[in-house]
Amino acid sequence: MLLSTPWRLWRSAISTLKSLSRPAPVRHLSIPTDAVCDADTIFALSSGHGRCGVAVVRVSGPASSMVLRNMTGLTQTLPPPRTALLRRITDPHTKELLDRGLVLWFPGPHSFTGEDSAEFHVHGGPAVITAVLQGLGSLKGVRPAEAGEFTRRAFHAGKLGLTEVEGLGDLIHAETEAQRRQALRQMDGELGHLYQDWSSRLKRCLAHVEAFIDFSEDELIEDGVLNQVDSSVHRLQTEIERHLGDERRGERLRNGVQVVIAGATNAGKSSLLNTLCQRPAAIVSPIPGTTRDVVEASLDIGGFPVLLSDTAGLRDGLDSVEREGVRRARQRVEQADLTLVVVDSTQLPTEPKQAPTFLQGYLSIVLPQPSGGNPEEGREATSDRVLLVLNKSDLVPEAQKERTERELRESLGLPPACFLSCHTTTGLGDFLAVLQSRVKTLCGNPLSGAPSLTQARHRAHLQQSVQALSQYHQYRNHDLALAAEGVRLALTHIGRITGRVGAEEILDIVFRDFCIGK
Amino acid sequence: VLVLELFVDLYDICEIFVPNVHTFFGLTVLESFGSVGSVCSLSFSPNFTIFPGTQGALSCNPSLGGVGKGHLVRELDALDGLCGRAGDWAGVHFSILNRSKGPAVWGPRAQLDRERYRQFIQSELLSTPRLTVLEGSVEELLVSQSNPNEPGHHRVTGICLVNGSQPILSSSVVLTTGTFLSGSLFMGQTTTPGGRIGDAPSCSGLSHTLRETLGLRVGRLKTGTPPRIVKESVELSLVQIQTPDKEPTPFSFLNTHTHCKPEEQLPCYLTHTTPGVERVVRESLHLNCHIQQDSKGPRYCPSIESRVLRFPGRQHQVWLEPEGLTSDLLYPQGLTMTMPPDLQLRLLREIPALHRAEIRTPGYGVHYDFVCPTQLNPSLQVKSTQGLFLAGQINGTTGYEEAAAQGLWAGVNAARAALSLPLLALCRTQSYIGVLIDDLVGRGVTEPYRMFTSRAEFRTSLRPDNADIRLTPRGFEEVGCVSLRRYKEAVRVRDSLQEGLAALKSVTLSSTRWREKLGNISLSESRNGSLNGLDLLQYKDVSFEMLAAIFPEHLSPYLEFSQRLNIEAVYRPHCEKQSREIERVQEEESLSLPPDMDYLSLPTSLSSEVRELLDRVRPNTLGAATRIPGMTPAAIVHLLHYVLRTAQRNQHTGQRVKAACKP
Repeated sequence: MLLSTPWRLWRSAISTLKSLSRPAPVRHLSIPTDAVCDADTIFALSSGHGRCGVAVVRVSGPASSMVLRNMTGLTQTLPPPRTALLRRITDPHTKELLDRGLVLWFPGPHSFTGEDSAEFHVHGGPAVITAVLQGLGSLKGVRPAEAGEFTRRAFHAGKLGLTEVEGLGDLIHAETEAQRRQALRQMDGELGHLYQDWSSRLKRCLAHVEAFIDFSEDELIEDGVLNQVDSSVHRLQTEIERHLGDERRGERLRNGVQVVIAGATNAGKSSLLNTLCQRPAAIVSPIPGTTRDVVEASLDIGGFPVLLSDTAGLRDGLDSVEREGVRRARQRVEQADLTLVVVDSTQLPTEPKQAPTFLQGYLSIVLPQPSGGNPEEGREATSDRVLLVLNKSDLVPEAQKERTERELRESLGLPPACFLSCHTTTGLGDFLAVLQSRVKTLCGNPLSGAPSLTQARHRAHLQQSVQALSQYHQYRNHDLALAAEGVRLALTHIGRITGRVGAEEILDIVFRDFCIGK
Repeated sequence: VLVLELFVDLYDICEIFVPNVHTFFGLTVLESFGSVGSVCSLSFSPNFTIFPGTQGALSCNPSLGGVGKGHLVRELDALDGLCGRAGDWAGVHFSILNRSKGPAVWGPRAQLDRERYRQFIQSELLSTPRLTVLEGSVEELLVSQSNPNEPGHHRVTGICLVNGSQPILSSSVVLTTGTFLSGSLFMGQTTTPGGRIGDAPSCSGLSHTLRETLGLRVGRLKTGTPPRIVKESVELSLVQIQTPDKEPTPFSFLNTHTHCKPEEQLPCYLTHTTPGVERVVRESLHLNCHIQQDSKGPRYCPSIESRVLRFPGRQHQVWLEPEGLTSDLLYPQGLTMTMPPDLQLRLLREIPALHRAEIRTPGYGVHYDFVCPTQLNPSLQVKSTQGLFLAGQINGTTGYEEAAAQGLWAGVNAARAALSLPLLALCRTQSYIGVLIDDLVGRGVTEPYRMFTSRAEFRTSLRPDNADIRLTPRGFEEVGCVSLRRYKEAVRVRDSLQEGLAALKSVTLSSTRWREKLGNISLSESRNGSLNGLDLLQYKDVSFEMLAAIFPEHLSPYLEFSQRLNIEAVYRPHCEKQSREIERVQEEESLSLPPDMDYLSLPTSLSSEVRELLDRVRPNTLGAATRIPGMTPAAIVHLLHYVLRTAQRNQHTGQRVKAACKP
């Protein structure tokens, strides 16, 4: 019992986080009526993306053998356990060939998770990976894994010891953070607005059904309310189904590691962009505030896809255009996988011992303040996701530069710092080496910058949401409690994309839309 | 021999003979107390303070149950509380609300006769063995000096009565102050101290002790009551008549019928507000102190003033409810108002049916103190004060049923505390009472809290029909508040239902044969063409009786339970889907966090924000911790790790982590 509990907890912990990751302020939450459960079979891309020849997709759960059969045409026998087999991998429904790759079968309990598991080793191109993930997501009872879920199941099955829990906390933290940034990026776009719109309409539907259940006997809540819900639910179903059926509709998701250049005005951010692009992508001038909007460039750094964004210098803008630029800059930094914080070296204190404190202060202005307050933890997270670029190093005396470098190396809690001159390109090689290793680490994490995976997650939840809505119609006329359950379930699934919705939020809508007075 | 003295304060005293909040829980406290005691075979001298002869002015409406509230009454009855049986005795108009919306949200409700209610309560009270009744008004709560090792922690030692010659010592006290804690009454521009018109205001000592000595955070809420109208002055030809159910359904699992005969039931009446009502409200705003105050009133029980201000230009419903078989008054539900009495009369008379209405007692508003309920454990004991339990409006709730639910649970735990038995919690997966208490202690309140079915995540499992199966066995076996008679009945019902379901599953026919037997029923073809009785009950037009007629030898033994079997069959698949989630919540709830945990210096990796959050809320279980807004999953895992490690270590030393909520 003690052993089994953490993993149940974990899911609720994740639900909690999902609610935190919602862009809007978090309201009171109730515990989730969670449709996504341990009995599901889960899948995830477990290799990184970018320059990888082979991508590994893992599947775990009771339906694993079904998945294997459906994806490989192995109708009669399963492959021998733990033996790689070269197979044609096909779409489970259209039987269209997706790739030729290795498949492995790990019957439980002798697998990483202790459950029946399977692995698909396919070619590493984004098109193949996306096709395989979408194929998996279309199978009944199969869904994308939540952050850390494979490991969670492993623990649940007693495959990991108590001592590993401590590390798991950090793992979940990292994975959920990566997902949060990913979600923030996507929620910005057209797709995000679409999901938000569905979510708010579903909320309203649920609120009106709940109001009818809880208050219609005493209050003036006309039957017309339910008729409106009927047609709203119907419209939502149609829209979501059409969206799922229309493959082209998904907007282009920005692929690659998101690297953002940020810093004070006139520190040389655009120069850094141009230096890295080896072409003038951004206008540079000695006038502070030249860059007002976000300038983007796609690059290849050491073979990894990188989306580099240059942002407006952070200062209290003089006009509304610049203020908007600063707002966007801050938003980008919030969503970045990696932030290059550019500092004008000539502004560094001439006394090197004061440099760490100066830079600490500088970072606290440029970076968003971590929401979970432990400065220790915040600093660690920062040093993982930030590089300090001390630009204009050609204008600093060599001796000061060297002593400052030494001070910075010895001071704890600061992200790595590189002296660089975009003007003379001195220090560029060292900087690129550091940047490349950082990007490589980030790419190794399958959760960062893998829009195809997110897309598959979204599809799975949308599909289940549509299914749940049909329960509404099924029971609408003879059991409103069960009909409402369908809407609750649908909202839970949409909530997995847009953020969870608690009972209080539904009640807020009830009291806003109806005069409840008994 | 352990001598326990259990006290309820002044406000129970005032209200014990009238159907009010405190009656319900005063008596449920009593009920649970007696039973727990008898199970433990210990001798008691419990003292209840009762103040006879409160007349007239009642602060609340003469009804019991409803949607959500009816669920609570059924659960209270399943735990052997009194209000269900009292309602069956005193009801004069029974109806199941939401009849057409599915059994999970049926709302059993009754209008009560206050006189009959009083009779029932009185006889129950006088026939309760080993109950000593004291009369008086509580002046002061006695607590021990703060423990120097645990600053801020106290222990209850007893109470002092006004004019009492000596203090009454007790290790457990349940405080149920209703609207009396620093209560003030508002009518027009006048404000007077008190919790209800006609009753003396509370002693300021109690409020002072809670705030100053015990250091509890206290907030302020408001509520109100409508004027009472003389029935004869109402033009009943101008209202819509609302008839009760032809066959009254009793609240109690033990009753097969209500005291009131079906044909003796009284009707309710429905009428509506007019634009004139809105005009009077607007014209009298400057004379209305209550409505100008900014303390929080309930959004769902607003005064007529706030209704017309928030939703202008509409007709609002007004229900005229009987106050009893012999009463000459009507209670206008929906017309709570606080303007000066002459304007109240003007407002009423803007409604056609009330154009010559007479007011017996005017409406008024009440402002009162409540103790922020996040300072309580799920046992309803104040975290920092051993032996002090709070229930009812003092915890920020509104309504009889909500108060009764807390009263029962506070009573159970007060008795258990006095017997040095471990305190118990009810899980939100098991009952609406659990949802209520968990919402209160886990989140606190920002407005008077009322139960709605939408608050229950597991609504399809927590139904009014199965409250006995959910709660009675546990109430007997674990809690000790249920009588043997009720327990035996619940076990019989539970076993019969299980057998009945098994019998339904065992009767199988092809869909063609079912169609032949049942006549015009459209059945969908299943895969192998054969369907069992449970499958058949999924169809709206099929009932257990119909199936029993086809398979009498299998099914007729269960005809007594046909309605419950119909419901079980339809809901079972949905409940099974929820069962895994229920299990998860229960497991989280079973990991309790030590109340004295020093979160600020816990040797584990937690952010300072999370530490402060935990320190402030002091969740009782890991489950409660996950529900704190602002909690991060990583923090939960770290916390979990710490708890597991501690538990493991304690197991070596022979201690155990105590389960607060047994799955």
